[in-house]
Amino acid sequence: MSRIEKAFRAVLSKGDGAFIAYVCTGDPDPHFTIEQAVRLSDAGADILELGIPFSDPVADGPVIQGAMNRALSGGFATEHIFHVLRSVRRRGVSKPIVIMTYYNPILQYGPDRFCKAAADSGADGLLVVDLPPEESAELDGLAISHGLDVIRLVAPSTSSKRLEHILSGASGFVYAVSVAGTTGARSELPSSAEELVKRVVSMTKLPVALGFGISTPEHVRAALSMGAAGVVEGSGLIAAYSSALPQRPDALDSIERHAREMKRATLRGTVTRQSAQR
Amino acid sequence: MNGLLRTYAGRPTPLYFCRRLTERLGGPRIYLKREDLAHTGSHKINNALGQALMAKRLGKRRVIAETGAGQHGVATATACALLGLECEVYMGEVDVQRQRLNCFRMNLLGAKVNVVKTGSRTLKDAINEAMREYAASSDNTHYLIGSVVGPHPYPTIVRDLQSVIGREAREQFLAAEGRLPNALVACVGGGSNAIGLFHAFVDDSDVAMYGVEAGGEGIETGMHSASVCAGTKGVLHGFKSLVLQSSDGQINETHSVAAGLDYPAVGPEHAFLGSSGRVKYVYAKDSEALSAFHMLSETEGIIPALESAHAVAFAAKLSKEMPSNGAMIVNLSGRGDKDVNQVAEMEGNL
Repeated sequence: MSRIEKAFRAVLSKGDGAFIAYVCTGDPDPHFTIEQAVRLSDAGADILELGIPFSDPVADGPVIQGAMNRALSGGFATEHIFHVLRSVRRRGVSKPIVIMTYYNPILQYGPDRFCKAAADSGADGLLVVDLPPEESAELDGLAISHGLDVIRLVAPSTSSKRLEHILSGASGFVYAVSVAGTTGARSELPSSAEELVKRVVSMTKLPVALGFGISTPEHVRAALSMGAAGVVEGSGLIAAYSSALPQRPDALDSIERHAREMKRATLRGTVTRQSAQR
Repeated sequence: MNGLLRTYAGRPTPLYFCRRLTERLGGPRIYLKREDLAHTGSHKINNALGQALMAKRLGKRRVIAETGAGQHGVATATACALLGLECEVYMGEVDVQRQRLNCFRMNLLGAKVNVVKTGSRTLKDAINEAMREYAASSDNTHYLIGSVVGPHPYPTIVRDLQSVIGREAREQFLAAEGRLPNALVACVGGGSNAIGLFHAFVDDSDVAMYGVEAGGEGIETGMHSASVCAGTKGVLHGFKSLVLQSSDGQINETHSVAAGLDYPAVGPEHAFLGSSGRVKYVYAKDSEALSAFHMLSETEGIIPALESAHAVAFAAKLSKEMPSNGAMIVNLSGRGDKDVNQVAEMEGNL
């Protein structure tokens, strides 16, 4: 069983949900990312997602675009993600870490070399947002051979037939996208989320985490009550620190405060959980 | 579709023999495929009408599109007005500035122009924004991509809708000369007018084909958009092709005097035709395109789009290397009215 699956099992056995925190690597520099990852782990995040900035992030809304721009203007290079991973592990963070990226940086780094470097640096899984399953056989094989879980995205528009195909190659957990559209905070969870979570949960034994638009404790509780085993937050976390960025200690405090609040909302107390249905 | 192309878009467009340009260059006979005479002033209407009909058939009430030079935006706005579809066009801020006239035309046609202020604020970023919007609204909206780029099956759809150019040109040339041309020349940004001309000739191995990319300030300066000449394999906007990028896979900002060629990748079929050797990809610099813009205006009374002027510039070079009993077809993909202000400003005449 992978470290990701174990993390879910531990959380679910207590009746809680998993809080997965996305970090845009290199925003505004790798050093800040390392500190941020440590603080998120301290605040109780169950899994970390390290994003690789990309010049043309078509799946992302304005907040993550802004973070990626800051990282790229700061001189981000693909190599930095491995440096960050190694440093975070050296600082004692043992939580599972997933690399989330667009495909082109992997293609240029060399898919095999990338997967090896990721695994050697302490990553546990790989999520490629713009690689459809029809095109992903090579990379999936390499990821698996290096011991990385292959995390896959499913969306409200995914047909059940296609869902079956996508799930057949997934491991670690399934990332359910709450809404047709891009990443970014929304005032409430769209109605499409519940239908999707229920559909995916009924088709897989893997934990299902809901992401896109999650930014408040209310969202967390709503997602878990739909049957999700966890939630992913990205833009909300970035919004929590980006305005405070000139003062780094304040920015880090702000991240930690927000993460603690989000994690608290995943704790036992919400009735219908994926774990409870097993 | 065929009825609309004939009665609305003005097809078939003429194949015109350039007597004075041929004499001036003293080489092979030069023919222009006059896509500039199609309704809205470029070949873009061929694809826009086809996909707008598709959108209707798919039950979509709304169409979104990206545009660089504005020609595709205008063609899409036109097709949507004709078919009663809502239309929104994404256009980079830089392109809005250099192609103001086309912005106004889109508004006249009832379309909304969304100005894109992210990234390089050109065509690439307009596509990013259109893709984000499509992800959010695909249940009632069709994304009408304007070039042979994007996720499958867009490159095939756009090629098939543009291939009418080459089918007509082949037939017209056979009627005029009783044989096939020795060479075809077309400009390549994403590559829709070029693939449209080339497609019907791919199996005619005696017909040489040249795709002319935007050399900008020169390849060595990095200020260009020549993806086949200077790009490497990459994935952008849902397709794998030749891409102008850093060694880390971040997409470069590009440059061309012609907004419609200012794109850091090329349609995947062009990458294939280039690697198989069937089509030779070359480039013309901004300065060469501007000279050709003047030359064609003066010798033939035809003001070409700055995009198409790249093809004319290379045709002039090619004519020096070809036997004078040969003949070539240059795709005049669009007319230059939209560029008159920009050229006047650049040359200090405004």
